[in-house]
Amino acid sequence: MAGKNEKWYPGEGKLTTGKAVLYILLVLGLIAAGARLYLGLGATTNLNDAYPWGLWISFDVLAGVALAAGGFTMTAAIYIFNLKKFQPLLRPAKLSAFVGYLIFVVGLFFDLGRPLRIWHPMVMWNPHSILFEVSWCVMLYTTVLAIDLFIIGLERYGQHKESWIKFFRDIYLFLVVAGVMLSTLHQSSLGALFMLLPQKMSDLWASQALGPLFLASAVIGGMSVITLESLIASRVYQRVPEIGILSDLGKGLGIALLVYFAMKVTDLYARGVAVWVWDKPHFFFFVELFGTVVLPALLLCIPEIRRSEKGLYWTSGLAAFGVVLNRFNVSLIGYIGYRQFGYFPSVIEIVMTAALVAMAILIFDLGMRYLPIQPVAEGVLGKEAAGSP
Amino acid sequence: MSKAILIDTTKCIGCRACQVACKSWNDLKGGRATFSETMSNPRYLSSNQYTRIIFREIPLSEEGLGWYFISRRCNHCLDPACVSACPVAALVKLPSGPVVYDDERCIGCRYCMMACPFQIPKFQWESPVPLVRKCTFCADRQSIGLAPNCTTTCPTGTLLFGERAELLKEAHRRIGLESDKYYPEVYGEKVAGGLSNLYLTSVSFQELGLTQVGFRTDLGNTPQGLRGREWMSEVPLVAVAVGGLAVGLHYFIQRRAAVEAKKPKED
Repeated sequence: MAGKNEKWYPGEGKLTTGKAVLYILLVLGLIAAGARLYLGLGATTNLNDAYPWGLWISFDVLAGVALAAGGFTMTAAIYIFNLKKFQPLLRPAKLSAFVGYLIFVVGLFFDLGRPLRIWHPMVMWNPHSILFEVSWCVMLYTTVLAIDLFIIGLERYGQHKESWIKFFRDIYLFLVVAGVMLSTLHQSSLGALFMLLPQKMSDLWASQALGPLFLASAVIGGMSVITLESLIASRVYQRVPEIGILSDLGKGLGIALLVYFAMKVTDLYARGVAVWVWDKPHFFFFVELFGTVVLPALLLCIPEIRRSEKGLYWTSGLAAFGVVLNRFNVSLIGYIGYRQFGYFPSVIEIVMTAALVAMAILIFDLGMRYLPIQPVAEGVLGKEAAGSP
Repeated sequence: MSKAILIDTTKCIGCRACQVACKSWNDLKGGRATFSETMSNPRYLSSNQYTRIIFREIPLSEEGLGWYFISRRCNHCLDPACVSACPVAALVKLPSGPVVYDDERCIGCRYCMMACPFQIPKFQWESPVPLVRKCTFCADRQSIGLAPNCTTTCPTGTLLFGERAELLKEAHRRIGLESDKYYPEVYGEKVAGGLSNLYLTSVSFQELGLTQVGFRTDLGNTPQGLRGREWMSEVPLVAVAVGGLAVGLHYFIQRRAAVEAKKPKED
């Protein structure tokens, strides 16, 4: 088994094909980023006056944050709803959330016309702006996640700093509540951003309920990414997958998908949207609603699927893909036919997004190696029994 | 009091002197004219083109062709979506009418371009350090008591600059005087919560085919800055509610768990 894993992911300090590809992507991304900064957005992207927002907003910002919702979902489940059994999933979820927000921040930096002014919302306020709120919430929440990782790091590297540990233990509930509150606000507000322009987009997504819908689908994104990441990590770091916990989480994911489906249908029905039409936006709409919401929800109802590794891979993979597709639908595909021009990302846009994903995987890997992230379970096969007692 | 421009499109002859005046005052580069399916030149607004005349050829019901010229520029909405969207308050609606833009604040997020229902803000895509550009209502000229340059140049009196309330009266007076010449509605009086451009046309905007591009007929009278403000007014409440609920549930559920853990021992 070990041999098979080494083929596509690093063993101990060896440069494997997988890691080499990630590093190559990262270097290509750096070159692309240099070109973007030096030549400007117009020269390096396919963005135009009709499509001011493109791939970077759809994927790096919207999808990245939605898929990073696992951090706050797990925190809420464990610390607020006292579902202690999910404890082993908490730290990987936090690490992946931090990495997701890093994609957001770096992606946004390059997307801004004036990247060096990224700090402006801190001092130049417009309390009427949803984007102003999003930027503050993301800023604060990324800080919360960074503190979280710092605390995890203290466990391994700073056991002698007892006064620090005590301080963080004292304020921990505050951090938890702040994280949940900030996430609720900005996950929904990212959807509300698009409420301002309902006439410009397809009725299928132009809803005044975009805020709550985004929040619900972010929870789905978070849960499915935790599942995927736990399955992949157990394969890569050679542990026994925690199928028991994951199938419980799968049950939760199924319920979340059903709730989300009900919300979607209620919204479409209340607004009287013509659903049964065939055109390009509708094709993506059907794929999103039936392929990535209804299908995984139904599959997760079957206990055999929920308890199998393959079943969990497929269902959470579909659900996570659905969240990404939804973000693309709301921010790009919903505009087909409503604008005079088309848009397809340029090579530089695609390379930079791929590089961000590569960066995220590499940082996640670093975290898994150097921080006590992995749960202490009977199933630890690796040399290093991760985590301190 | 808020200033406005009454645009009586029935008087327009499509000479484009307003476009030239605009370029001249704002120091914008001239462009190369091109042929297209319409007489409009240039074909689109851009960061180098703040106003243009849309040429419309509409077959008339009796016979012949109706030829209409509609000046397009920033509408300086009374309650603009762009102002409510901008995260750094680079766009501001002045009480005197203009929606102005602060070069020093803008971070280039382009949310104003997404939010504007009329697709007015344009980006300097060709520049490595770009800014947003759009008609300024000649706020600089207005501040020293001059009228916007396009209105002073217009040779036919299509563009009339003045107090919005008075221009509205004038618009309705014209409609009342020549009801067969004008479509009985002033575009900009109520649409999107009111605009600083008041359009008089001989046929409706639907008939002109300007329902989605540049002008919109599907906005209703909803003030365009309302949606963002309404959402933001809920935010503090939601923050307190979620925070309170989280703390409350945390203690409640932990307490219940503690009580339940005790129970079997007592029995």
